[in-house]
Amino acid sequence: MLKDITLGQYYQVDSVIHRLDPRVKLVATLFFIISIFVADDPIGFIFLTVCLFAIIALSKVPFSFMVRGLKSIIILLLICGLFNLFLTPGDAIVKWGKVQITIQGVRAAILMLVRMIYLIIGTSIMTLTTTPNQLTDGLETGLRALNYIHVPVHEIAMMMSIALRFIPILNDETDKIMKAQMARGASFDGKGIVNKAKAMVPLLVPLFVSAFRRANDLALAMEARCYHGGEGRTSMKPLHYRRRDVMGYFYIFGAFAVVIVLHIIF
Amino acid sequence: MKPVIQTKDLVYEYYRRDEEGNVESIDTAVDHVNLDVEPGQFISILGHNGSGKSTLAKHINALLIPTEGTVIVDGKDTKDPANELPVRKEAGMVFQNPDNQIIASVVEEDVGFGPENIGVPTDEIWERAEKALKGVGMWEYRKKSPNRLSGGQKQRVAIAGVMAMEPKCIILDEPTAMLDPDGRREVIDTARELNKKKGVTIILITHYMEEVVYSDRVFVMDHGRVVMQGTPREIFSQVNILKSYHLTVPQVTDLAFRLKEDGMDLPDGVLTRPELEDSLSRIKAPSGAPEMTPSHEEKKAEKSPEDAVLILDHVSVTYKDGGTETHALNDVSLQINKGDFIGIIGHTGSGKSTLIQTLNGLIPVTGGHVYFNGRDISEKDFDKKALRTSVGMVFQYPEHQLFETTVLNDVKFGPKNMGLDDKEAGLRAYEALKKVHFPEDSFDASPFELSGGQKRRAAIAGVIAMRPQVIILDEPTAGLDPAGRDEILGLIKEMHDKSGETVILVSHSMEDVAEYVDRTIVIDSGHPVFDGTPREVFSHVSELESLGLAVPSVTYLLHDLHKKGYPVDEHAVTVEEAREEILRVFG
Repeated sequence: MLKDITLGQYYQVDSVIHRLDPRVKLVATLFFIISIFVADDPIGFIFLTVCLFAIIALSKVPFSFMVRGLKSIIILLLICGLFNLFLTPGDAIVKWGKVQITIQGVRAAILMLVRMIYLIIGTSIMTLTTTPNQLTDGLETGLRALNYIHVPVHEIAMMMSIALRFIPILNDETDKIMKAQMARGASFDGKGIVNKAKAMVPLLVPLFVSAFRRANDLALAMEARCYHGGEGRTSMKPLHYRRRDVMGYFYIFGAFAVVIVLHIIF
Repeated sequence: MKPVIQTKDLVYEYYRRDEEGNVESIDTAVDHVNLDVEPGQFISILGHNGSGKSTLAKHINALLIPTEGTVIVDGKDTKDPANELPVRKEAGMVFQNPDNQIIASVVEEDVGFGPENIGVPTDEIWERAEKALKGVGMWEYRKKSPNRLSGGQKQRVAIAGVMAMEPKCIILDEPTAMLDPDGRREVIDTARELNKKKGVTIILITHYMEEVVYSDRVFVMDHGRVVMQGTPREIFSQVNILKSYHLTVPQVTDLAFRLKEDGMDLPDGVLTRPELEDSLSRIKAPSGAPEMTPSHEEKKAEKSPEDAVLILDHVSVTYKDGGTETHALNDVSLQINKGDFIGIIGHTGSGKSTLIQTLNGLIPVTGGHVYFNGRDISEKDFDKKALRTSVGMVFQYPEHQLFETTVLNDVKFGPKNMGLDDKEAGLRAYEALKKVHFPEDSFDASPFELSGGQKRRAAIAGVIAMRPQVIILDEPTAGLDPAGRDEILGLIKEMHDKSGETVILVSHSMEDVAEYVDRTIVIDSGHPVFDGTPREVFSHVSELESLGLAVPSVTYLLHDLHKKGYPVDEHAVTVEEAREEILRVFG
């Protein structure tokens, strides 16, 4: 049912990775992404693969969930791979008329594919082990420094968490309005772009009206409960670094150092 | 005692501006209101929609600042900007829509939201959240997502969210308007308990008369003024004056009032059933063994299959959600005849919404067959779109589907989808709008500018304009005030009586069903348990109670009187029937 949509596909299980402070996981993801673009040789990638599988094992999330995110972009991956394979200039290994495959092309295609796949698995680990709420908390506290350059960090985090709360509600609402219009003979499977767009009007107008009404109500309710921005606010669930978080940072920086060293040596 | 809330000559004016920002007109929403609320009181404010009661409530929470006069909350003037947060902390507010006031995605975090805003230290937030959630009986749900809760539970979370700020008073602005009877009871009981046990001052704004019976003081508002005030008994003894303000009284009060007008010696302002029973037994002692109940059973005209519009033959609907199966409908066989006026009752989640949606094919059946005019609607070449226009469905809060630039265009939407040309569609729209008594000068108004009741009529017209053979209405009175409820129900009855339409009405309100429909179907766990005239169905008082459904309060009254040994017909279901019965026996 629509009510059960969990954004960011959180997988509920108790593991060290789940218990880590969200800020540590954000930093880890960031460094992992940098690493996969820094590394450009097999040894570097073997090291990253070992790290990745160690984390997956620690997170206790079944491997099938990790690759689930890949399914939707498999076509995109293949197209990118083929483009790299055929269009990279260099020393040809196979040649049919104008079409050629170069040794550089093979290398580029493999590198690109591995990078994309690791990128998706890496970020999936974060979203699978961190609830959207923790993620917003982590972003808010982790990016607090940006306040000094007038980035409204608290407001952005608040908007994110409100969006998370209201997406299932608006989803239900869409369903209801669609049914109500269908009961008036509307059909949403028109042919052609123009007809399709026209058919959406009876759905989108009421949906927008409702979203604005809800936003209005919510703003009033928040004000009535003394909300006045981030200033002077305390937190019910403040983030505290524990020993395991410090250890986490230690491992992240250690692994990153290894990646850099491998990059320089080879 | 020093009043916790005090308004002195409070005036609030809404400025309506045209596009250039010039003042077009001024509406006085609150007009010289003087209010004193003492600590620990339970206050109710009554009034029809637009009477200014919500505007008044927003002043107590400093969401609005008076145009004239003053509002003092806990000794602080709300006009002073420095007092804004302290006032809001002392006077918490709970709103009507349960979804639109919960901020967090976890119950406990939502309760913590208020304390976070006023800078309460972390440890204390947890203590307060625990106390508040236990206070409203929602502690076990603290880790749940609000989306998984019922309406009544959501409102209790909202109350806990206010309680966690440790306010002196809570203002509840129509907290039950969008809830089913169970949810309504939950919320009112919670408010009463907080008032009694924790001494929190409660200000309840409502248009359900039953909810104000237990308050210490009632204020009635009309056109921005306080027009009546007193104890519930004082207020409810003036039935005719209340009616002139478009308000009703509880069924029992209404019955006592009518009996008194008939010359019976009853006290003024009877509020509860036991009170009326006591007063009646003082008039006449029970005559010993109850006589046989006079047989009032109407002869039911046997309907032949030819009269059937819709037939449900062993219909089941099963949802598969991952590994679990939910049986929304379980082996339902029903016949709906031409000209029927059917009321369908059941809990939220009993399957009644699923049932009505199988009738126009919006939900496909997973077992059994639905026949419309003798044809199986699941047949491949059956025109589903035509079915949807022949079995018209008015959903809950139908005004949420309005989208066009003018009312007339919106009503034309259905007929146009049927393939009719603009002229014919216009004619049908006109006819439909006339049928719902929509004022002709607003035909070209934007549907978004209308009042709540008018929006609903326009939306109902949007379905009628397709000239359906059957009209299904899901909770058509939800969220309306008493006057609006009576109007809409009157309209539906008129459609049935005058135009002979087949009408199916889904409702939570037993009183409405008893008053209007000819045939009642009770649904529980996806299966019809009773099917008959309201008199037949409501005679199963104890069985209905075991399903968690109540019968109309006059039926309870006669049932009790019958048990005590009065020879009354316990089958009466409306105030009028009850009046006749009591006059016959006691008069």
